[in-house]
Amino acid sequence: MGEVNCEGRSTQEINAEIKQQIKKGATEILVRNPGARHNLGVAILERVTIRLDGSVGYYCGGLIDGPNFEIAGSAGWGLAESMMNGQVVVRGSAGNGAAAAIRGGTVVIQQDAAARLGVSMKGGTVLVAGNCGYMAGFMGQKGTIIVCGNAGEAFADSMYETVCFVGGRISELGTDAVVEQPSGSDAEFLDSTLAHHLPPDLRKSKPAGRDFKKIVSGRKLWNFDKREWKTWQEAL
Amino acid sequence: MSDELQRQGRTLQPSGIFQPAVIEDIQTKAETGLYRIRGFGTLRQRRWATFDDLTFLPCSLTRIPLEGYREKCSTATVLGKRHASKPIRLDIPVMITGMSWGALSYNAKVALARGASAVGSSNTTGDGGMLQAERENSKTLIYEVLPSRYGINVHDMRRADAIELTIGQGAKPGTGGLLLGSKVSDTIARQRDLPVGVDQRSPARHPDFLGPDDMIIKIEELREATDYQVPIFVKMGASRVFDDVKLAAKAGADVIVVDGMEGGTGASPAILQEHTGIPTLAAVCEARAALEDCGLYGEVQLIIAGGIRDGVDAAKAMALGADAVYIGTAALIALNCNKALYVDDYQKLGTEPGFCHHCHTGRCPVGVTTQDPELMQRLDIDQAAERIASFLRVMTLEVQMLARACGKSDVHDLEPEDMAALSLEASAICGIPLSGTRKIFGI
Repeated sequence: MGEVNCEGRSTQEINAEIKQQIKKGATEILVRNPGARHNLGVAILERVTIRLDGSVGYYCGGLIDGPNFEIAGSAGWGLAESMMNGQVVVRGSAGNGAAAAIRGGTVVIQQDAAARLGVSMKGGTVLVAGNCGYMAGFMGQKGTIIVCGNAGEAFADSMYETVCFVGGRISELGTDAVVEQPSGSDAEFLDSTLAHHLPPDLRKSKPAGRDFKKIVSGRKLWNFDKREWKTWQEAL
Repeated sequence: MSDELQRQGRTLQPSGIFQPAVIEDIQTKAETGLYRIRGFGTLRQRRWATFDDLTFLPCSLTRIPLEGYREKCSTATVLGKRHASKPIRLDIPVMITGMSWGALSYNAKVALARGASAVGSSNTTGDGGMLQAERENSKTLIYEVLPSRYGINVHDMRRADAIELTIGQGAKPGTGGLLLGSKVSDTIARQRDLPVGVDQRSPARHPDFLGPDDMIIKIEELREATDYQVPIFVKMGASRVFDDVKLAAKAGADVIVVDGMEGGTGASPAILQEHTGIPTLAAVCEARAALEDCGLYGEVQLIIAGGIRDGVDAAKAMALGADAVYIGTAALIALNCNKALYVDDYQKLGTEPGFCHHCHTGRCPVGVTTQDPELMQRLDIDQAAERIASFLRVMTLEVQMLARACGKSDVHDLEPEDMAALSLEASAICGIPLSGTRKIFGI
C-alpha cells in the first residue's frame, strides 16, 4: 500500500504525490494527516482506493471517475462534486453540497449531511445514514438520494427525475415534490443498498426499507403552464 | 394604419404611458397568464451611453500614425499569464463567447469552432457541456463550468485550453439559463441528463459554492483538475462590476470576463433582458478601475462582452482596458441569423428578417438556433464557418485600422487618451474629455 503524509505539504504537492503513486501502480494509498485540507484527491481518474485517516476540507474527491475514497473523519463542502463513477465513503458528516452534480457512482455519509445534499444530481446514489439539511435534492435530474434519518426544509425542490427516500421525518417538502407510495421493489432496493453500504451495527439502527417514504417530482414545473401559476409563483 | 389615418386627416394621440406596445403586452399577459419569454437580448432603443458615444482621435501632429494599410500592427493576444503554465495564445483579440449546444444547433456550434480556428481565435462551450465535434474543430476551446453543470465531464474539462467559471451572463445576471421544451430534443436531453421536452430552467447558484471565499477554493479545485496548466476565467454579468471584479481577481482568476447588459441570450424572460445589468460601456470602465484599484490591471486579463458589433466596438473596448472581446450575437448574425432567407418561415413566427428574436421557439428559419434536423440542414457548416472566419478577419482589420491611425503598432496599446467623448454621460463614465472642451465631466 502506498502512503502520503500531508504534514508540511501543500495540496498541490499532496495530489501530485497521489497521482505519482498511482502512475507507479499503487492500487491502495493511505493519506495520513489530511488536516481538513481542501481539494484532496481531485480529478483522480483511475480505479484505486484512497484512504484518508482524518477529516478533509472542500471538494475532496471532486471531479473523479473511478476511485474509491474512504474518509475516516468528516468532509467539507462539495464532497465528490461532479463525480462520474467510483465510491466515496465518509465516516463522519459532510458539509454543504455533498454529491452536488454527480453523474454516477455512490456517496455514503455515515453521519449527517448539511444543506443542499445532491443538488443538481445527474445520476448515481447518495446514502446518508443520519439527517440532511435544507434543500437536499434541489433540481435533481437523475439518480437516487437515500436519507435514513430526517430531512430538512425544501426537500426535493424542483426535481426532474431524481428519486428520494427518507426514513425519518421531512420538515417540509420543496416545491413540486410529492410523496409516493414506495413499491415492493423500492423496499428491496433500499434494504440491499443499506446492507451493502452501511456497517452492520449502523444498519441495524436504521428503518427497514418498507418504512421509507418515497419522494419524486410532481412534474408541475417541467413545463410552463398557467394553470399551475401558484406552483410557479412559489418556485420563482 | 397611421399613414391611412393621416390621409383621412385624423390625428390620434396615444398615451405616453400606455403606448400601443404596452397595451399589447398587458393584454398578452392577461390572455396567457405567463411572463414574456424571448431570445436575442435587449430590444430597447439605447438611450444610455454606448461605444457610439466615443470617437477616436487619430494622429496628426501631436502623434504620428502608422501606415494604415501596410505597417505591422500586432493583434497577438495572450490570456491567462497570471497562474497558468499554458496561457492561451490567440492570433486575434476577438473571441467567440459561450453559447450552448441546445440553444444553438450542432451545425452552428461546429461552424463557430471551425471559423474561429481558421483565424486563430477561440471558441467556448456553453450550458450543456462539450460537443465532440466542437473539440475536434477548435484550435482553442474554452470549457464553461456553469451553475447547472449540465454535461459536466472531467475528461472534457481536461481536454480544454481554458476553464471559464461562469457566475452569470449579461443578458440576465442573477438568473440561470433557459431552454424551452421545443429545443430539448432526444439528443439534447441525453446530453444534459434531462427528460425530453421539459422547459429547462438552469439554477442561478452554483451547487457547491456560494460566495467569493468559497470560489477561491473552487478555482483551486479547477486548477488541480487541470494540473495547473490552463487559465481559469471567471465570467460575470455586469451588475456591481467594480466590487465583483475585485472579488474575482482576489479569488485567483487569471482572466475576468464581464458581459454587459447588451449581451444576448437564446431564451430569457424579457424583463430581465430589458431591465437588469449595466451597459457594456460602463462595465468595461468599472472593470478596469477595479483591477487598477487592487493592483492587478495587466496581471489579470479582461475580456469584455455584450453587444459588440464590429471592430470599432472592439477597439473602443480595448482602448478602455479590455485585452480582448467576446462576440456572440454578432457571430450568429454572421452565420445567417435574421438573413432574408426562408422568409415564409419568419412570417410563420410572426416576424420578418431583421426583426427576429425568436431563438427561444426552436424554429429558427436559418438553422442557427434550432434542434429541428430539417431547419438545421439549412446551415451549411463549411459555408457558415467561412463566413465566421471572414467576419472575424474584418473585425480584426477594423481594430488594426483604428490602432494604426492612432499610432499604435499593437492593438493592445490603444488607450483612453486615443478617444474623445461625444456625450456628457460618456465623458463621466469613461473619464474621457468631452470633445471640444478638454474637460472630463463628472469629476
